[in-house]
Amino acid sequence: MANVSGNAYALTVLSPIKEGLVAGKEIAYADAVRDRLYDWNELDNSPMAKVPQTYLCRYFVLDDVYVQSLPSGSYPDNRYDWSPYITDGKRRGSLPAEDRLQSRYLVFSSNFHAGPNADLDGYLHNMWDAISDDIREVWGYCYGFDRVSSAATFAAYIKKCQLETTLFFVGSNDDPLPEQLKALFLKQEFARFAATNQGLPAAELRKNYNEFITRVAPEDLNGPSWSPGQYKFD
Amino acid sequence: MSNVAGKAYAMNVITPVRWYTAWLNKLYFWAAVKFPSTLSGLVTLSLIHYARWTIIGRKSFPHLDHRQPKETLKYSYMLFFSNFNGSWEQYVDSFTFAIPSGLDLFWKWNVRYSKSVPLTPFHDYIQYNQIETPHYYNAYPLASSNDVKSAANVRATLLAFERAASQDESDEAFQKRYHGLLRALQHDLGEMHPTPIVTMAANQVEKRTQWQSRVFEAPNAQS
Repeated sequence: MANVSGNAYALTVLSPIKEGLVAGKEIAYADAVRDRLYDWNELDNSPMAKVPQTYLCRYFVLDDVYVQSLPSGSYPDNRYDWSPYITDGKRRGSLPAEDRLQSRYLVFSSNFHAGPNADLDGYLHNMWDAISDDIREVWGYCYGFDRVSSAATFAAYIKKCQLETTLFFVGSNDDPLPEQLKALFLKQEFARFAATNQGLPAAELRKNYNEFITRVAPEDLNGPSWSPGQYKFD
Repeated sequence: MSNVAGKAYAMNVITPVRWYTAWLNKLYFWAAVKFPSTLSGLVTLSLIHYARWTIIGRKSFPHLDHRQPKETLKYSYMLFFSNFNGSWEQYVDSFTFAIPSGLDLFWKWNVRYSKSVPLTPFHDYIQYNQIETPHYYNAYPLASSNDVKSAANVRATLLAFERAASQDESDEAFQKRYHGLLRALQHDLGEMHPTPIVTMAANQVEKRTQWQSRVFEAPNAQS
């Protein structure tokens, strides 16, 4: 299954948004969804920071598909250009076809730690438990979402909207997020420690190191660490 | 637009591919999954966190309700979502310079794909087909992909260093071991700092905080 690479999972979701305008407002449902996504940017942090094991994710609205119809096409688009005897009608006909979507789609793409069993259900259940109000806010105008009322129905709904990933490339690593955050915290703290403890006598260095290790607790994932989505240092 | 979350940039590129040649692209991707060595060029692009390609058949768009109109597309579509560090130009150009043939293979037969060399038509192609991201979340906006990888090494090495510690060890022996630890980690250490704008959200939060302190705290300070 190409959705999975090691312990990482690539979730790709396209949820069709209803046609029409929000009652009482002259705004299309799709634009209302987009507005809500922009509103999330005004919060202290993304609601997705509360969803366990999420490495990186994005939301956007797919209004339509786009077909670039400029010269410089590749074979067979430009095959008629080779012949001077082809009419303009045929020449135009050789350009890419115009394509239009019938619905607009909310696109949700998440990269997360799913473990060795590729536990998509567990991720979606946790997502619902953590941010169900935010989920309702964003997916509320999508077809079929009115049947969602629980973690289980949300997971079932997302699976109906899910697309199989053709190729998933992990350029980072697939460790659980708490381990990644703890490691980043340690890297930052140890870099500072190494810089500020240069040239000390052996006994003092050892004493400082022991105090450092006690403070940073490298094994303890529940001890000091970075928080998900942390964007500045204290 | 919030394509940027800390040190990561979210790129969404959606390109049409003829339905009768899409199977060829799927075949290339299948071979890449089966033979990971074919992705060695991508591995050299250490600025990537995660990237994915998804091919949607022209009749495979999710249909969830009888009220939803059915799609009548003439093309299938290839979705490319990437999470990378650095600027748009750095990323697109590094693809071109590092794996031009691999890039051409993945996008082969996509409508109007200009090939990755020369650069300007390739830039135009990506720009034309790129879609903005209103909301982008990054669990570690202060870190690059290389930071995440090197941090894992720092933690593993520190834990091993701790396991090797002994009560009987002299201070001098500890110092020698510690210097060895620094040598082993010299490529992985380095402080991380926020980029000037970590996220659009963070920037807006900072602006709001500054505005609040100007409006609400200044009068108190005077009184």
